[in-house]
Amino acid sequence: MSEIILRVENLSKYYQMGEVTVKALEDVTFEVEKGEFIVILGPSGSGKSTLLNIMGGMDKPTGGSVIFNDEMITNFTDKELTMYRRHKIGFVFQFYNLMATLTAKENVELVAEITDSPADINEVMDAVGLLDRVDHFPSQMSGGEQQRVAIARAVAKNPQILLCDEPTGALDFETGIFILKVLKDVNVKYNNTVVVITHNSPIAQMADKVIKMRSGTITEIIENKNPIEPERIEW
Amino acid sequence: MNKLNLRLFRMIKNTKGQYIAVLSIIITGIFIFTAVSDSAINLRDTLNDYYTTTNFADIFVTAAALPEKLERELEGIENIRQADVRLSLDVRLITDNDEDRINVRAVSVDKKENKLNELFIKKGKRALSEREIIVIEQFAHARGIDTGDEINLNINGRKYKFIVSAIASSPEYVYLMENEQVLLPDYKKFGVVYIEEDYLRKISGRGYFNEAVIRVNNYDNVDKTKDYLEDELKKYGVMRVIDRDEQLSNNMMNEEITGLEGVSQSIPIVFLIFAGIMLATMLSRIVKKDRTSIGVLKAVGFTDNEIIAHYLKYAASVGIIGGVLGSIIGTAASGAMTDLFLQFFNIPMLTVQIYYDKIFVSVVLSLIFCVVSGFWGIKSIIKINPAESMKPEPPKQGKKILLENFKIFWNRLTFSWRMVYRNIFREKKKFIFIAAAVCITCSLMMMTMWMNAIIEVMFLEHYTDFMKMEYNVGFRGFHDERVLKEVKENINYNHMEGRIELPFEIKNGRHSKIVNVIGLEERTEFYDFRDLDGNKFTIPKEGILISSNLARALDADKGDRILLESFTPDSEGKYVTVKGVIEQSLGINGYMNINYVNEMFLDKSIINGVYINSDDDVKVKLDDINNIMSIQSQEDMKGTFEELTGLLTVYMGVMVIFSGMLGFVILYSMTLMSINERTLEFSSLRVMGFTKNEIFKMLIKENMVMSVLGIMAGIPLGKWLVDYMGIMFNTDIYTLQGHISTTEIINAIILTIIFIISAQLMTYAKIKKLDFMQALKSRIS
Repeated sequence: MSEIILRVENLSKYYQMGEVTVKALEDVTFEVEKGEFIVILGPSGSGKSTLLNIMGGMDKPTGGSVIFNDEMITNFTDKELTMYRRHKIGFVFQFYNLMATLTAKENVELVAEITDSPADINEVMDAVGLLDRVDHFPSQMSGGEQQRVAIARAVAKNPQILLCDEPTGALDFETGIFILKVLKDVNVKYNNTVVVITHNSPIAQMADKVIKMRSGTITEIIENKNPIEPERIEW
Repeated sequence: MNKLNLRLFRMIKNTKGQYIAVLSIIITGIFIFTAVSDSAINLRDTLNDYYTTTNFADIFVTAAALPEKLERELEGIENIRQADVRLSLDVRLITDNDEDRINVRAVSVDKKENKLNELFIKKGKRALSEREIIVIEQFAHARGIDTGDEINLNINGRKYKFIVSAIASSPEYVYLMENEQVLLPDYKKFGVVYIEEDYLRKISGRGYFNEAVIRVNNYDNVDKTKDYLEDELKKYGVMRVIDRDEQLSNNMMNEEITGLEGVSQSIPIVFLIFAGIMLATMLSRIVKKDRTSIGVLKAVGFTDNEIIAHYLKYAASVGIIGGVLGSIIGTAASGAMTDLFLQFFNIPMLTVQIYYDKIFVSVVLSLIFCVVSGFWGIKSIIKINPAESMKPEPPKQGKKILLENFKIFWNRLTFSWRMVYRNIFREKKKFIFIAAAVCITCSLMMMTMWMNAIIEVMFLEHYTDFMKMEYNVGFRGFHDERVLKEVKENINYNHMEGRIELPFEIKNGRHSKIVNVIGLEERTEFYDFRDLDGNKFTIPKEGILISSNLARALDADKGDRILLESFTPDSEGKYVTVKGVIEQSLGINGYMNINYVNEMFLDKSIINGVYINSDDDVKVKLDDINNIMSIQSQEDMKGTFEELTGLLTVYMGVMVIFSGMLGFVILYSMTLMSINERTLEFSSLRVMGFTKNEIFKMLIKENMVMSVLGIMAGIPLGKWLVDYMGIMFNTDIYTLQGHISTTEIINAIILTIIFIISAQLMTYAKIKKLDFMQALKSRIS
């Protein structure tokens, strides 16, 4: 039986907008297994980013719990959440969000410096195919290259889970496919659990598990027995 | 290097314009603090060392006739450690030029060394024999007197020839002034010489001494000792007993040092406060701009404290670099500054130390200022939510600004002016800060212009409007009206009045002050007495008019009865009524009817001086009259004043640069900040077809509005500063009074505008270089 790394139980998140209560998440429950490649699929406003933020310890739920390796992170203090993000989680954002004044390698080293057991930086840069671009600043790189640096930055911490928020959202098709391939390679090579949220349904074809969301709830969880290679995806 | 520190380093590099700007203000503030306070400490230390080396006296006694045995009688009783009696005479130096009337104070000294107030020999030998003389250094330099030279003195109407055996300094004449009434030292016209005691007594024909200098065991009890001496020495006709604090030279030095300490504590604070506000504004803008980066740092696991420390290091680096550079430059300059001061004060030794504790204090002070203001600027970091920070910030809620309610005004504005006002109202704090900087710059400029002008005005007012005599002739001793007749016979004059000038200790309750009271004719034409409101006063038949600084010192006002104690032996103190408080720019005096002075204190009709208005060369024509001790002309005083103006110009230049720099730096850095933050806005305008010049004009308009407001606020603030300075710099020597003139205000405004325009022109280069199109494409935080 596969090891459960993260469990989301009856998670809910409400926002108060004036007199209206917006239910961003409502009774969300699922499990994530170690080494799994999960795609959370849903249209804009379905609550997937909120879910990712709570899973990553960046936000707190209104109800329910997130259990990471038997630790209920939803009960964590701010400091404990910071340590959780520092040592266990790797984030990849839609708009890369690199430090403009640091080179590609320095962006990766920045997070490696605060982790207990970072990966070999050169190896990570090689894994994302950027060994020849290590000394370039973000402004000197294309969107795809910047996103690869962002993935390297996330992977360099040796995180147990890689959380990717619309990693291909700002990229063209070919670059998007390339990024998905990098994520898959990282998933295989480092045995990281990868959670990708996207509104782009074809991406679901490469996942081991697809969680479909709509209006803050999970509509369907699909176990994909035959995930396809990213190169075969088309949209 | 730690990657976060590397980012910090590059952040500093990318904001180098603003960084250098705030750094320069910190450096200036710390520089002024260190340089001025070190100079004050150096001066005080130097002075104290000098006093210790020369065994400077604590009490100075003037009396009619003191016996030599007094030294032995006094020593060991009533806190008195040492006593030394001496003879002090005011004599004349005989020169080739008949016009010269050079007063010299001849003071008796022991053959080898004095117990008290030892002379510091700069050149030559201390040991004195008959007909040898020691000349005080300032006078010797001014008149080109050297050792081995021969000088002639007129003592008691006879010419005595002396050989200069040494040039020396004296702790009693660090600031060489003849008396309190002489407002500026004139080393050519007054000097001090030291003659062997027995010989001076012999040639002066005096068997007794007339001065005593005393050292006490405990200076804290000096008042008690003074009281004792006043009683005990009554039998010797004691006239005046003053302590070290009241001694003219020491008093002047202390005033100077206190003034320096005041400057070191006030001006730097203004600079540090502005640097602090600027740093807080800069960092809050940087944090706002870095919102997403901060979110990312939080998301990847950096703690709030680590991120706060990261940005605080920016502020701390300004504090440390500013503190270190400012204090090092300040310390280096303090030596030169102290040296410069010593050119005005004669202290033969210079104690300049590097005050490491001061450097440490400066760095810590600067660091604390920067870190506290830095924290103020970045505290919003704590509130940044990593998840929220990834989303673009919602645009600010658009709402009408206050001005839009004034339809008549608003509807007349062009589109670009409306944008200008909207930007100002939406960034209130930033623009208020710009206005405040301009306001301070303008007010400091006004203060500088006023200071420069007021000193000239002060002299002109005093010697032209207040005192109207062309010559002030002082007699040796008291004389009846016959001396006036003798003077009248020797010159053609337009007007002449006898006067009497006497020192009194004036008391009002627990307040007391030693000042000269001048007795004048009731309808004197030589003085124009007015109060602050310009109301004219005439000399009353009875009672006294007092200068406003004397009124303050005595806490006395019109109608009060004050006690006048004369220094004439055996005279009793008498109460007189204050009939009015008059304004007087220079000096501190009381004025009475000459008949009233005679009636109250002298019992006979006598004078000791005369005021003259004459077209004759009075100095030459009165040269042969023996009883004349001094002739001071208005021209002499103006000449002395002109020597001062060189130093004033330097002072004014420095103040203009410092005040201008404040406005320049703040305006420059705030405009840079605007450009950096509004790149996207400007890019959009460029896309719409605005030229770079049009965008620059928009920025200028915003700053112009705030500059105009700043200048408008600066004018009343400047006026207040001027009034405040008038109160602060109210000494016995001068009263800085009078309002700032329109010309000075206009000059201050022009200078402020020059600095503002310079700052704007500097930022134009930045606008030119900006790649607006790149900004539109960029999505990197």
